[in-house]
Amino acid sequence: MIQAVHLPESPEAAAVHSARGGWIMGGGTVVMPLVNSGAAIRNELVSLRRAGLAGIEVRDGVARIGAAAPLSSVKEHPGLGFLRPALRTIASPTIRNLATVGGNLFVAQPYGDLAVCLLALGATCEITGPGGRREAPVADVLASGVAEGEFVTAVVAALPEPGTWYYHKAMRRRLNSASIVTVASVTHTADGVVTSTRTALGGVAPRPVRAVSAERLMRGRPLSPEVLTEAGQAARADTAPFDDAYASAWYRSRVLPVHLRRAFIG
Amino acid sequence: MPSQIVSLVVNGEPREFIARPGTTLLTILRESLGLTAAKRGCAQGSCGTCTVLVDDRPATACLVAVETVADHSVRTLEGVASDGNLDEVQSSFVDNFATQCGFCTAGMIMVAEALLDRDPDPSEEDVIEAISGNVCRCTGYRPIVIAILDAARRRREAGVEPGRPAEEAVSR
Ligand SMILES: Cc1cc2nc3c(=O)[nH]c(=O)nc-3n(C[C@H](O)[C@H](O)[C@H](O)COP(=O)(O)OP(=O)(O)OC[C@H]3O[C@@H](n4cnc5c(N)ncnc54)[C@H](O)[C@@H]3O)c2cc1C
Ligand code: FES
Ligand code: FES
Repeated sequence: MIQAVHLPESPEAAAVHSARGGWIMGGGTVVMPLVNSGAAIRNELVSLRRAGLAGIEVRDGVARIGAAAPLSSVKEHPGLGFLRPALRTIASPTIRNLATVGGNLFVAQPYGDLAVCLLALGATCEITGPGGRREAPVADVLASGVAEGEFVTAVVAALPEPGTWYYHKAMRRRLNSASIVTVASVTHTADGVVTSTRTALGGVAPRPVRAVSAERLMRGRPLSPEVLTEAGQAARADTAPFDDAYASAWYRSRVLPVHLRRAFIG
Repeated sequence: MPSQIVSLVVNGEPREFIARPGTTLLTILRESLGLTAAKRGCAQGSCGTCTVLVDDRPATACLVAVETVADHSVRTLEGVASDGNLDEVQSSFVDNFATQCGFCTAGMIMVAEALLDRDPDPSEEDVIEAISGNVCRCTGYRPIVIAILDAARRRREAGVEPGRPAEEAVSR
């Protein structure tokens, strides 16, 4: 039974409630189903809705997105057009009006598609907690969460240069379906040859992961079907797929190379 | 923390009620305010039957802790008809056989209202995306999509101004 819902008006005030054991809630699209079914893990909620964390700034090639920004604001922001196709693959417009960027970092797979994008972008998380503020790479936050009482206040990422952003999500239905495989990548090429790549995968491990084995195979080689098939097969080494209602682990692993290739060359 | 008094502006009117911590907007609408158009299907955000507009944007009322939207505006299906006259979306649903049992209908209509308020001339694809969070188990989606496109046409022909553009998201 929920005993209190706090609505702090600043991140500092939110930190006080969080440090006392309150459960941070962004849009509540994951928290509230648990509250409704009586499965909430804490009895106090700390909503970030009024904490002033919903702003989005894009300046000098860098985006700073408040943790409580709803996904619909990210989708509509003129400076974040490259993310629009990815946002369109997350839930429905109705859920995107509630669901936040911060919450997306902490949801269980096969959700967390924006987190996969942020991992590919090499984003940094700004974190507030009992010890004050700190920053951490999104990769660390995705791998090991934040400490007790801490929460993410913003994510910061450099915008990818034109022509370097790739995203593809394979799902059961064309809209509003969980991930079978999600691929996001920032990949630079020169004369058709990959000079650098940061490629992230969703749907194929308990948390979003970097496809480091695929990245290794791609560097110095063209984005050809052959190279991408090889890279996709190698990427299996970076995954730990699971069975769920959408797909079996076997299926996820089996189709991973196809979707990795499609992310780059359709 | 004990129950507290919360206020909302529902269909244009200020309303006050007592809510236990963590009560959903859906429960308040149905049980405290007697507005039963929004239905409880899944209580998980998956079916869309509880969809209402919060600050003119569709939101699944079953996922909104009511304190978090205190003093905000909420529109429900009850506020759509005026003086007992169905609006374009409602009458188009009737004329196009887009409703059978009616369980999904309130949510479908609210999503359509928000869409047409923002975009008077949506494409079929836009309509399909807008209703992608709403499940219908008996009519099928085709008549619903047709009805929403037809409602858009009716509004344009009647010269209805695209009202209440919702630039601000629900969360502030
Ligand atoms: C029908 C439906 C379909 C969905 N489809 C998709 C989909 O296709 N893709 C996808 O990625 N997701 C999907 N989701 C999952 C979810 O809506 C999103 O991942 C969303 O971004 C979660 O954000 P939230 O703010 O609602 O999270 P909340 O429910 O508020 O929080 C989720 C978790 O994150 C923690 N948290 C929230 N904010 C912070 C913060 N700032 N710092 C630290 N911890 C925090 C909470 O404590 C909680 O543990 C779907 C959900 C539903 C209900
Ligand atoms: S009852 Fe709210 S989405 Fe199903
Ligand atoms: S009309 Fe029955 S569920 Fe849609």
